[in-house]
Amino acid sequence: MTPEEKFRDDLSGRFPELADKIVLQRARRIWVDVPAGRFREVFDFCVESLGVTILLILTGLDEAESGTFGVLYHMARPDGVVVNLRVHLPKDKPVLRSVTDRFPSAEAYERELVDLLGIVVTGLPEGPRYPLPDGWPEGQYPLRKDWKPADAAPAPEEGKSHA
Amino acid sequence: MGTALIQILVFPGLLFLAVAGLAGEFIDRRLYARFQNRMGPPWFQPLADFIKLLSKEELVPDGADRGLFRLMPVFALTAVVTAFFYIPLWGTSALHAFSGDAIVVLYLLTIPTFTYFLGGYTSKSVYALLGSARTLTQLYAYEVPLFLAVLGPCLLAGTWSLSELTLFFQARPWALAANAAGFVIALIALLGKLEKVPFDIPEAETEIVGGAFTEYSGRFLAWFRLSFDIEMITGASLLAAVFLPFGLGLGFAAGFGLYLVKILFLIALIALIRSLVARLRIDQMIGFCWKVLAPVAFLQVIVNLVLKGIFFS
Amino acid sequence: MPDFGNVQIPVGPQHPALKEPESFLITLRGEKITAASVRMGYNHRGVEKGAEGRTYTQDIYLVERICGICSHSHGTAFIQAVEEIAGLDVPRRAKYIRMLVGELERVHSHLLWLGVAGHEIGFDTLLMYSWRDREVVMDLLAAVSGNRVHYSMNTVGGVRRDVDSALAETILKGVDRLEEQTKYYIQVCSEETTVIKRLSGVGVVTHEDALRLLVVGPTARASGVARDIRKDDPYLAYDELDFKIVTSDHCDVYGRTLVRLGELMESYSMIRQIVKNMPDGPITVKAPRKIPAGEALSRYEAPRGEDVHYVKANGTEKPERVKVRAPTLANLQAVSHMLRDNNLADMPIVIAAIDPCFSCTDRAVEIDRADSGPRDRMDWGRLRAHGIDFYRSRGVDFTELNRSLTRRMKKL
Repeated sequence: MTPEEKFRDDLSGRFPELADKIVLQRARRIWVDVPAGRFREVFDFCVESLGVTILLILTGLDEAESGTFGVLYHMARPDGVVVNLRVHLPKDKPVLRSVTDRFPSAEAYERELVDLLGIVVTGLPEGPRYPLPDGWPEGQYPLRKDWKPADAAPAPEEGKSHA
Repeated sequence: MGTALIQILVFPGLLFLAVAGLAGEFIDRRLYARFQNRMGPPWFQPLADFIKLLSKEELVPDGADRGLFRLMPVFALTAVVTAFFYIPLWGTSALHAFSGDAIVVLYLLTIPTFTYFLGGYTSKSVYALLGSARTLTQLYAYEVPLFLAVLGPCLLAGTWSLSELTLFFQARPWALAANAAGFVIALIALLGKLEKVPFDIPEAETEIVGGAFTEYSGRFLAWFRLSFDIEMITGASLLAAVFLPFGLGLGFAAGFGLYLVKILFLIALIALIRSLVARLRIDQMIGFCWKVLAPVAFLQVIVNLVLKGIFFS
Repeated sequence: MPDFGNVQIPVGPQHPALKEPESFLITLRGEKITAASVRMGYNHRGVEKGAEGRTYTQDIYLVERICGICSHSHGTAFIQAVEEIAGLDVPRRAKYIRMLVGELERVHSHLLWLGVAGHEIGFDTLLMYSWRDREVVMDLLAAVSGNRVHYSMNTVGGVRRDVDSALAETILKGVDRLEEQTKYYIQVCSEETTVIKRLSGVGVVTHEDALRLLVVGPTARASGVARDIRKDDPYLAYDELDFKIVTSDHCDVYGRTLVRLGELMESYSMIRQIVKNMPDGPITVKAPRKIPAGEALSRYEAPRGEDVHYVKANGTEKPERVKVRAPTLANLQAVSHMLRDNNLADMPIVIAAIDPCFSCTDRAVEIDRADSGPRDRMDWGRLRAHGIDFYRSRGVDFTELNRSLTRRMKKL
């Protein structure tokens, strides 16, 4: 049995409802769709019992067709196996719990979700925003598919000088 | 009166010192560059830098004491030039000499350091403030070893006058060998005084931008830089007079040539040292000065006292 | 007297210790750092959003421009993900050429770092020497790719330029020279007292902290964490090369220096193996313009640590989403931890020791390039016209100046 198959069996043994949600893409690449309600349980189980101790990055996705935000937790084991946990959040109430209590380095990745997609992350420590500048207009989330660069800066009035 | 004015303003005074200082800076920079496998600047670069700075706008920061801020560079320049007059250069007597001039020269050479401190302190910038604090901290580290190092030869010669000191060693050149340790200590302390690597801690640009001089610009920065250059010449002349007083009876032309060779040798040593080492931290610098330099300097004083008792009493 | 009790000094966004804009606010008690905070984002250029609006081929060049030093790392990490989605079987020769450029790039980056480190501790001689030798590897990269930076070797399905036997000779000769010089630097760094004094015990990250803060690359390996994507999750043909992971137990800046110098030696041996074992065959396969729907995660061991790219394709010629995690973003968050209880004098070298690349770190939002503020926006053409008028009204006419210079050049 390959390490990937062992991981699948271990995870679906603990969470039987995930059995058909685990995709083994290729050697060392595993993708898991996790229901948002049980995410933290699955996350903790992976970290504590399955040795997935490295958080690589979070990816936020604007899934326009399904009207949801997707968040991918790209994680890895020291032996090179990458586990990608995916959750979907409703667009009208995109709330996520911070994982900075377990991975301090997640702070910047979660702030990116906040700034660029407008996802609300609870439990983030106090600190400056990242990566947008302080004067960025409210309610502008650049990585949303319906956002255009012009939204952030209204067109100048004609005839005005720039000197 | 006329001769005195020429001596102060032209030779061997301000003009000579300015030319020598700029030439010294060029030689230092050029050698430093060659040691680092670079071409280095052309001969007129220090002069061009100086003229360019003179033509730049000078800014005085808000909240700074304007008088103090502008006065400090002039003070620094005056002090280093004045100190120069009491050092014997190519003969056995200085331009002006009296029986305690060694102490006066050492104290005059302390004044520039205080002007750097006050100039930085009145700049009202955090970088300048930190640079000033470091300038002063560093002063307490290298000053004692420097004084002790100069004290050794003075004790041996039994005089506090630099001119009499050179006379003493002129008569007994073999006695110079006793001061070897003192020479090394004085050279290292001089690096601290000139704020050069490894002791450029007060103006470490990667940490505190420009240190005490962060807010200085234009003319005032030019005077400060010139005073550093002249301080290098004055410091090297002091070292040459105290530790290398040989060949002083050769007359003006040959004596002056020999004096230049000595100064060049010291500048080359400084350039060599600063291309070989990294900058120390302030705590490491103080530790080095008090744990290594000061005890060795004390030892030098004791050895000289013993030698004096045996040979010259 | 001034209050030396607690001084806050801003380091950045513009500061001589930083080569790129980033802002650190450092609280000092005397010379000791009691707290440090980082404000990131000054170099945010909107690469991720920009990538969504461009084709895959355009994106290769966009992604390379995330960083000037590790441009091949970003390019290769991105293209690997695209090729995985498209199911392309990249020829072995192309993989070897990618590795060759990747290792030359690592040599370039580490030599550059060594010089910067020397400068940060006031040892400019080291800077001048290592940057002189860096020219050798830059010339090699220019010979291989045509460019000193931004090598642009990759294309979907392979590489754009081949390496012939004469070029292979040149590379081997250059590597011999570099190896000799690197041995000298190893000697300098292990014998020169002031260097050891300035680097030892500074910016400590213990083994446990390294695992907890998830630092990557040489920073992690200097804390005894033997992680290297080239071994752990082999890409290209790294599983065919013989090399070892260089680690150190110093846990400080000195350890990071030794690790990088050791990696230089490993890279030289790898470059020799690559050149010697370079397989024959084509350097590219035909790639479709439209990439089928799918997603892939690609990892790459850049000189500064692990570089992660995620690409999601939607069946068109443009990607649906590109996500980049440059190694510095993982390491930068550990810097405030490293700075605490160090001296102010150690601040530059501690920050430099992670080999920070802030441009890499900040990527995502596209803002109109000519934007000078939310209410005052000019497009590129108008900005250009404004610039020309601005100088003309002050008596400088660049068009005329250009013409007269051209005339003078022709006369010569």
